[in-house]
Amino acid sequence: MNEEMAWVIQAQQGSDEAFTNLVDAYQKHVYNLCYRMLGEPESAEDAAQETFLRAFQHIHRYDRKRPFATWLLSIAAHYCIDRLRRRKFSMASIDQDEDEGGFELPDADAPNPETEVMHSEQREQLQGLLKRLDSVDRAAIVLRYWNDCSEVEIAEALNLTVSAVKSRLHRARRELAGLWQAETPRSKPERRPNESPAF
Amino acid sequence: MNHRPFEDWLLEDQPLTPEQKCDLQSHLRLCNSCASIAESNLALHTAHIVSSSPGFTDRFKTRLAHRRSEQRWRQVIGTLVLVLGGLGLIYWLAGPIVQEAFNSPAEWITTAISYFLFVLTSLQALGEASAILLRVVPNFVTPIDLFVILTMVSGVGFLCILSIWRINRVPQGV
Repeated sequence: MNEEMAWVIQAQQGSDEAFTNLVDAYQKHVYNLCYRMLGEPESAEDAAQETFLRAFQHIHRYDRKRPFATWLLSIAAHYCIDRLRRRKFSMASIDQDEDEGGFELPDADAPNPETEVMHSEQREQLQGLLKRLDSVDRAAIVLRYWNDCSEVEIAEALNLTVSAVKSRLHRARRELAGLWQAETPRSKPERRPNESPAF
Repeated sequence: MNHRPFEDWLLEDQPLTPEQKCDLQSHLRLCNSCASIAESNLALHTAHIVSSSPGFTDRFKTRLAHRRSEQRWRQVIGTLVLVLGGLGLIYWLAGPIVQEAFNSPAEWITTAISYFLFVLTSLQALGEASAILLRVVPNFVTPIDLFVILTMVSGVGFLCILSIWRINRVPQGV
């Protein structure tokens, strides 16, 4: 039995300390998912905290046959999707805060300042474009590219079929590319000779 | 311009052979649409994981303690409302009866005894009726009919158990 499963079992038996260890271990992934979904550090912090509170309250329902990370990210994704739907419903468009961004993404391994500035701009641009995707598509993209989830894990986390996940990922990436082209009509990717930018 | 199969390669993150990479590279120089897919791909693949500000776990502990305290208060207030409401309801329903019982104890005792006798005789009558039915019914119902009826009853019981199990199945993802 690995350490994580031991913490889960202890948490299911009521140990706060074991659950705190799980919070420590997964806070980064949960926070990143919430940030990518909601786009604001304050909302992301609140959503991540709420995710862990919900997980704590319902830890007895967790099926140990499933990966804990998938279960936790599923709670976070559903919470963020609900929140985005409520936000949309209350007519507060997410486009309004499109330019708020401003969140620093530190990179200690930056090879040179110019490349880092360009990558940083691209990341900000990507975050802005993510906001325009449908909330479930956005969750699928974040789980795929930031959390390295497989299509099966995304399907489990979002209560979708694997084929629905494939189709959503395909659609979302095409949409992202379209938006990217619209935002940067004249830009050309910086590539080394004889190298595809995607690989 | 024909985007296939380049678009599929890019959208599906397929591993490419050196020749395919070379073909893709040539296509990307000419095609803005595929180049934008490649650029967004690059941005997705190089995107960093954003961390929360330090002290996340401590803030969680504080929030958990606050939530627990809230829940405890809610439980206390809920229990108090329930108990007081229940007592009020009992007083409202049973108050006049109790008062009457204290006013005329003889009448109350007579009513109680007659009620007890009524229940007793009803049960006795029910028992006799059941005994007669058990004696008479086998003459009309064949073993096959009995088998069919019992199967139907078991089937309905099984469906009930199945429904209860499905309703109470543990959901995932909260």
